Amino acid sequence: MTALTVLYDPTCGLCRRAHEWLAEQRKLIELVFVPCKSEEARFRFPHLDHDLTAQDLTVIGDQGEVYMGPKAWLMVIWALSQYREWSYRLSSPELLPTTRRVVSMISQHRYQIGRVTGLAR
Amino acid sequence: MTIGITTYLIYLAVSIALTIWVARTLHKNGRVFLVDVFHGNEALADSVNHLLVVGFYLINFGYVSLALKLGYEVTTPQEGIEALSVKVGMVLLVLGAMHFFNLFIFSRMRRRASLVNGAPPVPPDGYTRVQEAA
Repeated sequence: MTALTVLYDPTCGLCRRAHEWLAEQRKLIELVFVPCKSEEARFRFPHLDHDLTAQDLTVIGDQGEVYMGPKAWLMVIWALSQYREWSYRLSSPELLPTTRRVVSMISQHRYQIGRVTGLAR
Repeated sequence: MTIGITTYLIYLAVSIALTIWVARTLHKNGRVFLVDVFHGNEALADSVNHLLVVGFYLINFGYVSLALKLGYEVTTPQEGIEALSVKVGMVLLVLGAMHFFNLFIFSRMRRRASLVNGAPPVPPDGYTRVQEAA
């Protein structure tokens, strides 16, 4: 795998901030950012359920592998040279349930978190 | 030859011998690590190994030479031995620290190399058709 397409929610401040942070990180796998439900997203992935991608972060590999929600987060972490180790740690059988819970919680409350922390510009 | 000079000479002989011994140990045993890190590229491993050992020698001989001066008069053999043990003890501690630092570098290089080729942490949820951009 050489590239991952990240379908992110451009309407959420937290996601935009995360996007900026990711852009600065050194990567082992190229990350391509495409706003979810955009024309480009629909063109590149014609068979994907795009309403689903608006609910949770979706990442797509260059062979068409689809990762959603917590798995998508883990894949993004895996792409970062500095944090690849953490993707293995967080996806270990001991930590995966916690990872899923925390990620789902952040994902569901992303607008509120953005508002409270002042990231929703 | 005064006792002071004898102390200095013994200090130098012991320190140099110890440094050479540790460097040779590192050189011999570090090679296996490096060959693994560089995926069997032995020429590159040997080259990096040699460069590491040169740095090791420079730092240690630098320390040995800086720490030579006693700063006080040694008049009896007992004082000579005491001064010697302090100096050699310091050299040993520095060598030990350097040695572990080197091991740390080796293991970090190895870990990083194995991470770069790591498989994805989770299997995909499914597959979708990817339309290549025109």
